[in-house]
Amino acid sequence: MSIKIGEFVFPGDVLRDLTVVNGVILKGPGLHSHEEPNCLLVTRAGILCFKSPNTYWIDGQQKRYYPKRGDLVVGIIKKTGNICKVDIGSSELSSLSMLSFEGATKKQKPDLQVGDIVYAKLLSAHREMESELVCIDSYYKAGKLGPLSNDGFIMNISLNFVNRILDINCPLLKTLGQKYVFEIAIGMNGKVWINAKKTKDILNLMNALLAAEQESNSNIIKACKQYAS
Amino acid sequence: MEVENNTNLLMRDVNCKLGIFTRPDGSVFISQGETAVVVGIYGPIEVKLHKMLINKASVETHYCPKSGTPGISDKLCESILHNVCEAALVSTLYPRSSILIIIQEMQNRGGILSCAVNGCCLALLNAGTDMKFLFASSSCGLDDEGNFHLDPDNLFLEKATASFIFVFDSVGKGLIASHTSGSFNLAQYQNALELCKKASEGIFDFYKCMIKKDLQDKI
Repeated sequence: MSIKIGEFVFPGDVLRDLTVVNGVILKGPGLHSHEEPNCLLVTRAGILCFKSPNTYWIDGQQKRYYPKRGDLVVGIIKKTGNICKVDIGSSELSSLSMLSFEGATKKQKPDLQVGDIVYAKLLSAHREMESELVCIDSYYKAGKLGPLSNDGFIMNISLNFVNRILDINCPLLKTLGQKYVFEIAIGMNGKVWINAKKTKDILNLMNALLAAEQESNSNIIKACKQYAS
Repeated sequence: MEVENNTNLLMRDVNCKLGIFTRPDGSVFISQGETAVVVGIYGPIEVKLHKMLINKASVETHYCPKSGTPGISDKLCESILHNVCEAALVSTLYPRSSILIIIQEMQNRGGILSCAVNGCCLALLNAGTDMKFLFASSSCGLDDEGNFHLDPDNLFLEKATASFIFVFDSVGKGLIASHTSGSFNLAQYQNALELCKKASEGIFDFYKCMIKKDLQDKI
């Protein structure tokens, strides 16, 4: 019994006859190595996906975030000090050093209060250790990272919906942009920060995202096309 | 044994609704006949220091009866559910965190334990928690004439001489938990095991069907 790409898989299934490049298979969420060579064990329910040359992963539903290195996340400050504690929705708070902002020195630190929102990058995420956030890239520049305005609104969406709206082919954000002028920061942890000029606009955008979460991709594309034409 | 003719080999209707709550990471309402439970999963979440395990996630199960505080029979039910879930979960992936499973009894018309086990599996699938295999439970009862009755309700269980609850895994179709009460002989136990194993395959198909239906419009 062989499982094809795009089929539903369930925990306990074993994938055989996989494409191997130089003896390596890259495995994404929901897949783990199996005792036999060239085989993977499935641990989550979802659709099996493949990207050439050798990447496999499972597209399923998830709400709880598990930190991954390099992810861009939206977090809420829970404790301040030289090292802030930030809630990114995972099992524990992650740490964010006050010195990891652009232009910050020991004397001149960014003004952050408890409850403020930051858009940050995960520098390290190891399952045995606390995850660590930074607000600068490797050139010590902030780029798009840093504290987000307090005028905005934060909401939670499911993780696979994050992946769907960040897909370059998804017209949802573009279509919303035709009607409203807004800023949005989508974290891979399912937290979304929205800011617009009017509170009413923010509420409309929030309702649009919540409604789209329940719809399938084809329905979203259809609705967007209808609106654009 | 020539019991096949007068044996009730049909399960009560199983129905479920996935993702009924917004706050938990995974939730399900499942009913088997008139027995119904609601299961909610949180996890991996923050863990209290005294419950923290450094090599794997601690699995916490809470079984809440319809009214009042949990009694001894509820605690027994809870410990069976805990053992089954802990066996199925790949808890080594989430060290220093905990996976919280809350089972709320809605109505008990017999077979609440097997209904709760099936609910836990569906809720874990809905939450996207890593599992080594799926698990399904089915129960059967034995009346004084030696007839088996699959998935008995409380009216049957009152006059039954024995009742059996089995939990099977989906990979090797092996037995992972067995809970029996009443008097029976070894042959009857074997017969009950076979009967429940057949019924559990139907439950695995039910899981797959429900998860496919649920995921289809979300991916």
